[in-house]
Amino acid sequence: MRFVGFVARRLVGIAAVMIGVSVITFAISHLVPADPAIAALGDHASAEQIAAFRSEYHLDRPLPEQYLTYVGGILRGDLGRSIRTRREVVADLAEAFPATLELSLAALLVAIVVGIPSGVWSAVSRGRLPDYLVRVLSLVGGSLPVFWLGLIVIGLGYYQLGWFPGGGRIDLFVPPPPARTGLYVLDSLLAGDIVALASALRHLVLPALTLGYFSTAVIARMTRSSMLEVLGQDYMRTARAKGLQERIVVLRHGLRNALIPTVTIIGLTFGSLLSGAVLTETIFSWPGLGRYATASAVSLDFPAVLGVTLLAAVVYPVANLAVDVAYFWLDPRTQRG
Amino acid sequence: MSLRYSSILALALLVAAACAPATTPGASAAPPGASAAPSAGGAANTLVYYADVSDLISLDPAIAYEFSGVLLVHNAYETLVKFEGADLSNIKPALAQSWDIKDAGANWELTFKLKSGGKFASGNAITADDVVYSFQRVIKLNKSPAFLFTDIAQLKAEGVKATDPTTVVISMPKTASPQGFLSILTFTVGGVVDSKEVKAKESGGDSGSGYLLDHSSGSGPYLIDHWTKNSEVQLKANPNYGGTKPALAGVLVKHIPESTNQQFALEKGDADVARNLSPQQVAALQGKSGVATTSGNSLLLVYVGMNAMVKPLDNVNVREALRTAIDYDGIVKDLLKGNAKRVQGIVPAGLAGFNDAAPFQADVAKAQALLKQAGQDKITLELLVPTGPAPGGVAWSDLAAKLQSDWAKIGVTVNIKQTTQAELLTSYRAQKGQLVMILWGPDFPDPDANVGPFTDYKAKSIAFRNGWDDKIADKGREAALITDTTKRSAAYKEITEYVLHNGPYAVLYQPTELFGLRSNVKGFAWNPMGWLDFASITK
Repeated sequence: MRFVGFVARRLVGIAAVMIGVSVITFAISHLVPADPAIAALGDHASAEQIAAFRSEYHLDRPLPEQYLTYVGGILRGDLGRSIRTRREVVADLAEAFPATLELSLAALLVAIVVGIPSGVWSAVSRGRLPDYLVRVLSLVGGSLPVFWLGLIVIGLGYYQLGWFPGGGRIDLFVPPPPARTGLYVLDSLLAGDIVALASALRHLVLPALTLGYFSTAVIARMTRSSMLEVLGQDYMRTARAKGLQERIVVLRHGLRNALIPTVTIIGLTFGSLLSGAVLTETIFSWPGLGRYATASAVSLDFPAVLGVTLLAAVVYPVANLAVDVAYFWLDPRTQRG
Repeated sequence: MSLRYSSILALALLVAAACAPATTPGASAAPPGASAAPSAGGAANTLVYYADVSDLISLDPAIAYEFSGVLLVHNAYETLVKFEGADLSNIKPALAQSWDIKDAGANWELTFKLKSGGKFASGNAITADDVVYSFQRVIKLNKSPAFLFTDIAQLKAEGVKATDPTTVVISMPKTASPQGFLSILTFTVGGVVDSKEVKAKESGGDSGSGYLLDHSSGSGPYLIDHWTKNSEVQLKANPNYGGTKPALAGVLVKHIPESTNQQFALEKGDADVARNLSPQQVAALQGKSGVATTSGNSLLLVYVGMNAMVKPLDNVNVREALRTAIDYDGIVKDLLKGNAKRVQGIVPAGLAGFNDAAPFQADVAKAQALLKQAGQDKITLELLVPTGPAPGGVAWSDLAAKLQSDWAKIGVTVNIKQTTQAELLTSYRAQKGQLVMILWGPDFPDPDANVGPFTDYKAKSIAFRNGWDDKIADKGREAALITDTTKRSAAYKEITEYVLHNGPYAVLYQPTELFGLRSNVKGFAWNPMGWLDFASITK
């Protein structure tokens, strides 16, 4: 019951966050001193066309009324119609979200597979070359602009070496797998389409490395510091005194305890990967949420911008909630409230 | 097998799959050094066109009015009349074999006689009913390009009639220009749709616009195979096309917004055409093997509007002084690396009525004398400038800085205010700008498409935005209605000459478009209206 109450409280919190985010985004979107009708119809549109457009999108109504209309739509599962694509925002998001989810999962996989062992290696080699190496690479990863990194990665991996494709989710002349989840890797596995699977995986490598580098650096640093803290604990000395192998001491007694703060970071990282793939998606022509958000923002496409923001506002706390739930089970101390 | 080992095996399989050379259905061996992405097989008979097509909203000829949409629609539909190649002054037959403009007293009456035997991609015959349906559909849907029919040509749905299966008669009021309407008909809004097919696809009174959003129902050399949103549009050769068959079986337009990616893909041989290269990228491609560059004309004009309602810009001598002080050659040669024409009139080169007079070039002494004549010595003005790159590849902010420095030489202080284009246009359209730097492209290939907006205050377009209400607008309206092309050109010469020295504009340049091509791509000819005929391209 304690657990159910915990989750319920968090869900109420998420709802409150969504209301706050929707109000703030709505207000900011409508404070921009530019007319979305002009952005959509262009320089040549007549005054009548502008007026008709404003009426169609309720832009001629008072702001509070526009907001209430919008919220009413959300409650019916209707996020409105995109000004730029002229399609339902829900349909646009449903198309773009799986691409971003796939990229973020791949980036997270890179971050976990590389970040945690690097952190452990760095901690156990404290003050020696591997430690310096990991720390320098983490520092670089935390400070490199993604856009620049993406261009370097694509320039090297695609242009110079030709090992991986330069952009998109699948090769030009390979048909995408039949859409079930929208994740190409999963869909091509489900369809048993090896050609599509290989192509989808190859297309994931460079953008996942680019997007995942920052998170790898964060996870490596967090693992290193929590490992260092754990390595100095009494129970580690006790484990060694029992004559256990160093590998078992470090991995079973050390890492397991050091992972608790890392799990928190992984959850936060995943949320930020999902909502922060904007630049990576632009560089790698990845038809995901980030690119959709950029194009929508540039065209003052308020319904689309609001839709993306709300989705991010759901995804981020949900990722955090998942971490907290994991934490709840991982660390018995949290269950005592 | 334990879970642990099966996980390792699964991971190994995934890695192996990722590292395996990409295979393309029907692909031949890729050339050495080529990337694993396919560049053969399907690609050998397909033109791969990399471009930023984020503006694409519909492939329906009654709705498409964006650069990407117009390019694709142009290749999937035919029009009654057309311009051939880059010549935008001589109208040629297309679906109509002949036409006639008759003064019918109260109206103009245009009669089009269709060629016989034409077929849509569906196999249906092209009839006058299809033309009537298509034009009435544009008026009924009333989307972005509809104003060309309803406002410019003042067309009413009931004014379009089929008198027999091969004859279309269109009547339009005497206040509209029949010559201008013919030019409009060359544009994608005049694309003729297969009425039988589209009617069958109508849903909820949408006139088939839901279907035509991402399908085609025309008679052009290509048809739309599919449009994957935010990713690609695939065109396929139309087996029933009545003209010369396209050399390539398909065209794949890939949405690649980042120009560096376009350049990389072109050099690697994955792309045949790169649409959005900067002048610097084009320069970097020079001399590289396997690639070529080309340019095409545009009909855009980059200009500064001077609000004649704001003092001292209400004084014609001040406006002339500002025009006179600008270093146009510096802009074209240094900032744009020659990627533009020095054009100073309001009609771009390439259109009938173009006036090649370009008398202004950084004459500081003359500009100062003009200011003195106007009784002005110290002027401070605000210059509104959009963000991002201007046509031709230079940043708008760099152009603004150049103007600021040129005008400083004659004692005019300019404060630059940079905003998004939408924000700038919101102010500009409300007559709230002082100096506004922006671009203009004609809606249809006729001088009236520029002369009207630039001179007619009542049209609530550019002249209105700059608060310039001048009697020259009457001459502009008269010129639009002249049917004799020689007399019409003479009338436009007089008008453009007047606006050059009296209007509230400093036209800075007419940009050219740059493209990167694989060197085996032949027959690439960019049309200044913003399209190219894919059917004439080989590789």
